[in-house]
Amino acid sequence: MNTATTTVNGHAGHHDGGHHPTGILRWLTTTNHKDIGTMYLSFALIMFFVGGIMILAVRAELFSPGLQLMQPEFFNQLIGVHALVMIFAALMPAATGFANWQIPLMIGAPDMALPRLNNWGFWLLPPAAILLTMPFVLALFGIGDGAIATGWTFYAPLSVQGGIGVDFAIFAVHILGISSILGSINIIVTIFNMRAPGMTMMKLPLFCWGWLITAFLLIATIPVLAGAVTMLLTDRHFGTHFFNAAGGGDPILFQHLFWFFGHPEVYILLLPVWGLMPHVLATFSRKPTYGYRGQVYGFIAIGILSVIVWAHHFFTAGMPVPALLYFMYSTMAISLPLAVLFFCWIATMWRGSMSFETPMLFAVGFIVLFGIAGLTGLVLADVAADAQYHHSYFVVAHFHYALFAGGIMGVMTGVYYWLPKWTGRMYSETLGKWHFWLTVLSFNLTFMPQFFLGLAGMPRRIPDYALQFAEFNAISTVGSFILGLSQLLFAWNIIQCARGRGAPAESRAWEGAEGLEWELSSPPPHHSWEVQPQVK
Amino acid sequence: MVDQFTDDELARRRAAGRRLAWALGAAVLALYVIGFFIQR
Repeated sequence: MNTATTTVNGHAGHHDGGHHPTGILRWLTTTNHKDIGTMYLSFALIMFFVGGIMILAVRAELFSPGLQLMQPEFFNQLIGVHALVMIFAALMPAATGFANWQIPLMIGAPDMALPRLNNWGFWLLPPAAILLTMPFVLALFGIGDGAIATGWTFYAPLSVQGGIGVDFAIFAVHILGISSILGSINIIVTIFNMRAPGMTMMKLPLFCWGWLITAFLLIATIPVLAGAVTMLLTDRHFGTHFFNAAGGGDPILFQHLFWFFGHPEVYILLLPVWGLMPHVLATFSRKPTYGYRGQVYGFIAIGILSVIVWAHHFFTAGMPVPALLYFMYSTMAISLPLAVLFFCWIATMWRGSMSFETPMLFAVGFIVLFGIAGLTGLVLADVAADAQYHHSYFVVAHFHYALFAGGIMGVMTGVYYWLPKWTGRMYSETLGKWHFWLTVLSFNLTFMPQFFLGLAGMPRRIPDYALQFAEFNAISTVGSFILGLSQLLFAWNIIQCARGRGAPAESRAWEGAEGLEWELSSPPPHHSWEVQPQVK
Repeated sequence: MVDQFTDDELARRRAAGRRLAWALGAAVLALYVIGFFIQR
C-alpha cells in the first residue's frame, strides 16, 4: 500500500512540474481539475448575471405597451445575446465545471486524462464572451450598429444582411464550439481510460453517464453548427449563396443545419442535470437510486432520438406531410425514455426517509417544473397545434420551463449539493431555502403568464404589443425582477462558503450520500486520490 | 487484479487516452470538412 501511495505521489509531483505558481499565474496555468472546475463555475455565475441583466432590461421594456426604454433594434440585440450568453456562457460552462470537479472524484481518477487541453478549453471561453458582448460597447463609440440582432438562431437571410454583430457572434460561436469539443473529448477519454479498478461501465455514477452522452452529442453536432456559421460567414463576405435565395441558395437549409445542432443542444444542457438528479434524490431519500440500468438506457435513447427530430422547430416553414408526421412522431417518442427517467426519480423517493435540505428542495422543484416543460413540449410537437403556437409566447414559456427550471435550477441543485465538498464549508440553509422559494414562486410568476399570452396570440421577439396583453406582461415583468434579485442570495451563499464562512463540512457532507467522492476530505486534497480507491 | 495505478499503468492509460482524443478530434474535423462537399 505504501509503495503504491508513493508511486502515485510521484505522479502528482511530476504532474504540476513540482512548483506552484500563485496569484493570476496559478489560474492561467493550472492543469488541476478542481481549479479548472472552479474557473468554469465562476465564469458561468458571472455570465449568468450578465445574461440576466440583459433580459431584465427587456422585461422592463415589456412592462407596458409602447416603446419606453429602447429602440426595437437594441431590443432585438438584447434578446439574442441574452440567449447566446445563457446557453453558451452560463449553462454549458456550469455543466462543464461540474464535470471537471466531479468526474475524477466520482470515478477515482487522479485528474482529467488531458489536463493541459482542459486548461485550454476553459481559457477559450473569456475571449469568446468578450467577442459576443463587445459590439454593444463598440456601438457606444460609433463603431458598428450593435450586437447580433437575429436571435440566437442566426436565421438567414436576416443574418446574411445583419451588421458586424453577426460577424462577432460567428467568431464567438466558433471559439465556444472549439472549447466545448475539447472539453467533450477530455470527458470521454477520462471516463473510458481513467476509471478506478473495478469500476465497470455499469457501475459508473449516473452523473458521469449523463455527461458521457452529452459529450458524444457535442462531438456529433458542434461541427454542424460550425459548418453552418462558416457558410454564413462566406455568404456575408466571400460571395457564396448557400442561404441566399436570390443567388440560388436556400434559407431553409440554414434552419436544417442550425437545428440539427440546436435540438441536441437542449439535451446537451439537460443531460448533465438529469445525471446529477438521481444522486441528490437518493441522498435525501436515504435509498439507493431506483432503476439504474433504466436510466442509463434512457440517457442513451434520448441521446439517439435527439439527433433525428430537429425539424419540429420549424414545422411552419413548410415541408411535405410525411416529413411533418415523421418529425412529429419521433419528437413525441422522446417522451417515452424521458418518462422512464421521471418514474425512476419518483420511485427513488417513494417510501424513502426524505428530508428537504436546499438541494432536495431544488431537485423536487425541478421534477415538478420540468414536468410542465415536458408536457407543453408535447403540445408543441403536435403539428396541428404548433401552427397556432409557433413563434408565440407559449414557446418562450415552454423553453424557459425546460432551460431555467430544468437547466438552471438543476445546476443550482448541484451547486448546493456539492458546495460543501468543494469548499469544505456548509452554506447557510436558511438563505438556501429563501433562495429556493423566492426562485420557484417568482419563476412561475414570470413564465406562467407567458403561456396565457402565447395562447392569446402574442408573438415573441417584439418590443411592443397590443393593449390586451398588458396585464400578463406587467405580472411577468414584476416576477422577473424578483427572480433576478433573488439570485443575489445564491451568489452570496456561494461567496460566503468560498471565503471559508459557515460550519466545516465533513467528508460525507450529507448523511445519505453514497459514492467515491464522499470518501475524500471536504475540500478534497490538491491531488485527488493519491491512494487509488477500489470499487467492489 | 491491479488494485492501484502503478506508474506504468497510468502512463499506459494516458497514452491510450491521447490516442482516443486524436481519433475523436479527427472525427470532428472530418464531420466539419465533409459537410462542405455534401450536394443538396
